Amino acid sequence: MAPSKTDQQWSVDFENARKHHLFSNPPKDRTAYPELLELVEPHIASFNAIFKDGGQLEEAIKDIGEKSFSDRHGNRLSLRIEKIFYDKSMLPPTNKVVLKPENRKVLPAEARERHSTYRGKMSARLNFKVNNGDWQSLDRDLGYVPIMLRSSRCHLESSTPAQLVNYKEESEEFGGYFIVNGIEKIIRMLQVQRRNYPMSIRRMAFKNRGPGYSEFAVLVRSVRPDQSSQTNALHYLNDGNVNFRFSWRKAEYLVPTMMILNALVETNDREVFQAIVGTAQSEGLGQRQFVIDRVELLLRAYKVYGLHSRAMTRAYLGSKFRSVLQLDELTSDEDAGTYFLRKIVLPHLGADNDKYRMLLFMIRKLYSLVEGESCEDNPDTLQHQEALLGGQLYGMIIKEKLEEWLNSLRYPLNEWGRKQDWKPFTSQQFQTDFVPKILARAQGEDLGKAMSYFLSTGNLVSPTGLDLQQTAGFCVVAEKLNFFRFISHFRMIHRGAFFAQLKTTTVRKLTGHSWGYLCPSHTPDGAPCGLLSHLAHKCKIATQSVDVSAVPKLVAGLGVSDQVSALLENSMVVQLDGRVLGYCSKKQSKVISDTLRYWKVEGGHGVPVEMEIGYVPHSNGGQYPGVYLFSQPSRFFRPVKYLPLDQLDYVGPFEQPYMSIAVTDPEIVSGDSTHVEYDARAMLSVVANQTPFSDQNQSPRNMYQCQMGKQTMGTPGTNLNYRTDNKSYRIQTGQSPIVRSSSYGSYGLDNFPQGANAVVAVISYTGYDMDDAMIINKSALERSFGYGSIYKTKVCDLEEGKAGRGKKNIQKLFGFSPIGTVTAAMREKLDEDGLPRVGTMLQNGDYIAAWHTVSYDNATGEFDNKDGNTQFFKYKDDELAFVEEVRVIGSETGTDPLQKISIKLRIPRTPVIGDKFSSRHGQKGVLSQKWPATDLPFSESGLQPDVIINPHAFPSRMTIGMFVESMAGKSGALSGQAVDGSPWQFDEKNTAIDHFGEQLRKQGYNYHGNEPMYSGITGQELSADIYIGVVYYQRLRHMVNDKYQVRTTGPINSLTGQPIKGRKKGGGIRVGEMERDALLAHGTAYLLQDRLFNCSDYTKTTLCRGCGSFLSTTPTISEFTRKKRGALTVRCRRCAKLADNAAPKSEVWSDGQGIRYHGGDNIAVVAVPGVLKYLDVELASMNVRLRYNVDR
Amino acid sequence: MSSYAGADTTAGASNPSGANNLSATEIDAHQRAVSYTCGDCDQDVQLRRGEPIRCRNCGHRVLYKKRTNRMVQFEAR
Ligand SMILES: [Zn+2]
Repeated sequence: MAPSKTDQQWSVDFENARKHHLFSNPPKDRTAYPELLELVEPHIASFNAIFKDGGQLEEAIKDIGEKSFSDRHGNRLSLRIEKIFYDKSMLPPTNKVVLKPENRKVLPAEARERHSTYRGKMSARLNFKVNNGDWQSLDRDLGYVPIMLRSSRCHLESSTPAQLVNYKEESEEFGGYFIVNGIEKIIRMLQVQRRNYPMSIRRMAFKNRGPGYSEFAVLVRSVRPDQSSQTNALHYLNDGNVNFRFSWRKAEYLVPTMMILNALVETNDREVFQAIVGTAQSEGLGQRQFVIDRVELLLRAYKVYGLHSRAMTRAYLGSKFRSVLQLDELTSDEDAGTYFLRKIVLPHLGADNDKYRMLLFMIRKLYSLVEGESCEDNPDTLQHQEALLGGQLYGMIIKEKLEEWLNSLRYPLNEWGRKQDWKPFTSQQFQTDFVPKILARAQGEDLGKAMSYFLSTGNLVSPTGLDLQQTAGFCVVAEKLNFFRFISHFRMIHRGAFFAQLKTTTVRKLTGHSWGYLCPSHTPDGAPCGLLSHLAHKCKIATQSVDVSAVPKLVAGLGVSDQVSALLENSMVVQLDGRVLGYCSKKQSKVISDTLRYWKVEGGHGVPVEMEIGYVPHSNGGQYPGVYLFSQPSRFFRPVKYLPLDQLDYVGPFEQPYMSIAVTDPEIVSGDSTHVEYDARAMLSVVANQTPFSDQNQSPRNMYQCQMGKQTMGTPGTNLNYRTDNKSYRIQTGQSPIVRSSSYGSYGLDNFPQGANAVVAVISYTGYDMDDAMIINKSALERSFGYGSIYKTKVCDLEEGKAGRGKKNIQKLFGFSPIGTVTAAMREKLDEDGLPRVGTMLQNGDYIAAWHTVSYDNATGEFDNKDGNTQFFKYKDDELAFVEEVRVIGSETGTDPLQKISIKLRIPRTPVIGDKFSSRHGQKGVLSQKWPATDLPFSESGLQPDVIINPHAFPSRMTIGMFVESMAGKSGALSGQAVDGSPWQFDEKNTAIDHFGEQLRKQGYNYHGNEPMYSGITGQELSADIYIGVVYYQRLRHMVNDKYQVRTTGPINSLTGQPIKGRKKGGGIRVGEMERDALLAHGTAYLLQDRLFNCSDYTKTTLCRGCGSFLSTTPTISEFTRKKRGALTVRCRRCAKLADNAAPKSEVWSDGQGIRYHGGDNIAVVAVPGVLKYLDVELASMNVRLRYNVDR
Repeated sequence: MSSYAGADTTAGASNPSGANNLSATEIDAHQRAVSYTCGDCDQDVQLRRGEPIRCRNCGHRVLYKKRTNRMVQFEAR
């Protein structure tokens, strides 16, 4: 019998032995935490979708199609990309020293350790032909493109935990991010408009488009199979006309909608009229006068163009848009028009007839909106949104770069033509020159560089803008501060940078539509509030289309017709992914959606369970009704139970508002509820789920905990030795919380503990616990409560910024100069190789590496140092640190001498007064005293608290969950069992207090969780019973050692003479206007004088009493030099007079040029702020003189 | 990273009169090989000044410096 597979079920229990076993024996078959891996699925699957067979990239190549260029003789050169190859990460061919194929793999850990990029070679097979010759093919190198970890291009794709540990990874490494220059980068998800669904929009800004424009429009974000999108809009003009708007390469264009309709299919006015208004015999035509009038005008207004057939219309469109679409001269107008329709008009649909029908539907919806028959759609609700996944964006950029590359061939072709006297493409010369002189000179062939740039900066450099509303901020660093923060990056979804600047708060509002998809409590407070959300932990995102090929037939069988009726309730649309399947009556639409729902859950009917059936019922002026089916990627969906079949069903945010989903079983209403939640906690994010008894807290406190959980010093990983983060925090004695939620085990959070169970007394004991300060038992600190370290990585690179490698280019080497003297002081922290000793202690100014300049001697093959000078990298931080690791980094080729080292330093951080701690209920506080254990209160059993907090922390914040946790933790500590702290376990009849109080009573403690306690100082019993229990405490990363700022004197701004700002530079803290006011009001004027003047830009300067201007140095030479020595020699040249013979000799002085003056000596020395002098000078440069009246 | 620009220069051969100068055998230290550990196969790698950085056994490009065998002693505070 085969050994049993690794167990994947987890309970709330500690399960220490099992976890211990997993640590010492990483599973060789499968992970023990599958739910953890599922969290990042959208990232990895969307990346894999780019490169799979028939995937995003293949579709993109198809969409790019053939690019053609013509010479001056009517010859045409056609180009197309046949295939893209993308290799795994390997050593480059220039490395000839590693021979074993197994060793040639470059693993992600190496990229981290070498501070390089984890990337694979990409190349393209290009086809080209001249005129109608045969396609010739050749391969072009596109550079090295970054690879997502654990994707199909990664070496770790299907590694088992045991293998991962071997590869220097976390045993549960889940990937989903990139490594660029040693930094882990993630493309974050974006909320974008739902694809292929025409939305009614009413926006006042539309009126500014031009005269006649109204605020009404119908917008559709049409997504091509390659996931790139094109937004089409129909604008309603005040006279009833409708214009089609699109943007192409960042420019906007408007076309009469009728022209597009006529170009798409061979049609006539009657057909269009009936498709919009309704067939002639349909009921209620008489009530449609509003629409009839407008359609009439629509048809009439188009007549001025005089275009009568499909071909003619296409040719007209083609002639107008030929140059916009970058088509060559040999393409006929009609072909250009066809190309226009394919590329721009509803490109999610392939067939012209489908596009035609969709456009007509959009016109109907637009008129309905204007008439008030239906309301506008809210683009800020999740109902009309989907997720733009990292992989999709990555693929879109690759597509665009490929297309730009082909387009850019126009320039080298032109240049070649100019140099070769416009020889035809058919010439022999062209054949020989094509690859070396034309293809090689095309811009943008290095795709790898472009993609690395995108990932490292997050900036999108794009001529089209990719139909997105922002150009920056797509990528963020996946900081591994602690596990909560790391995992949150993968569940994070952003509304877009554009919305951050909006002054209105509508986009930030939490609507009911996002129930179960976005976590209501896991969003930051402050600027990004509501824009940066996190997915609920059970929410999934579709990453591929599901097979819905059977659906159109099924829908047809349920009775839909092509004909449109006049009344909306008789012509409810049925759409599949933005394709009109037909129209039906109000009653039928309900039947269709119910039947499809039943089939989809039951399975076996060709209706996949992941498909979304958005049934919008007919209403009086509500959302435009219809049945909208969605099967494509990017959709949010989540599991719920379908009651009629008692089976799993997936629901999406589009259909959800019109469904009746009970939260709990008792809530099910017979005849109404169709679904019930599996678990109400599914609506919370991974992090929000970990707050125990969060249902008992006031909601903002849960938000604060989501923030603080991500700022906690925790355990960033188990492969710390192989990580080279710039800065990482680690708690040394992490514990498993006694009170944890039901999902704690399955996400493997015990692998990354981030806090400790502390005995907490709620008491006002010493006065040092006022205002959110907390007292920690000194003995607890000595037992390493909250002890942590910071790891910092410093890279010393000798050839920073220089690209050229190879022996001859090397100018510096690590180590001491071989011909120089090495003193003992130089060797104190350094070994003979010039690198720091591992384990040594560093202080500010210590040497951390030595280097010297060299030149390569070709004859001897050695590096010679000529000057005998040794130079040093120094440790510049103020804090004491220890050298933890020194990494000696070689080049990819394996042949270069040492040019780069990476030093990991450990900074010990034992808790000090001022460090920040918090419980898991948004109750943060700073350590105010380390109180001696002997002076702390003790209980009857002799127990002393680890932490004392003030009772005033509770009334206004109402964090009842913390009280409950305290009792639950106490009971769990007494029984040795972990306690389930998931929210929504208790209700009014069956309260948490009673549950845990009863347990405490059985364990011999007070039912209410409080105990009589005795003063540690007097030994007397305290007059009140003290609430004491066990609460899990987190140490936050905000520590005084990183924050304290103090200055006596220090650097000043050279222009103004005022102290500079910035803690790092030893600057001061600004005393601003409000601070000044406070000091003034306090009557401490001398303090003000001292702070704002004496310790700032105090300057002594000379002033002429006569003319009231500042004086700068004027060389004055007294004629009786010796006698006047020591006296003031500054004179005002303005008030001085040229000396004549009458002037008394003793008062005559001369300036540097020997011109004699007398007078101008009415001078005062005053103290003024330096900036005042500066202002005086600045104004003087503009011919403005300041005059100071001097009294004394 | 910019704060680590090695600005300090010590006088070289031109200043041989320093009191802390090491003996002649130690000046020759750069000729001696220093031993590192391979990041992949964990083997010892002996390297001299100017030699290519790679494991002689497996060709791996990241080596770790070993913990110093000098006495490491700190003042307890
Ligand atoms: Zn090796």
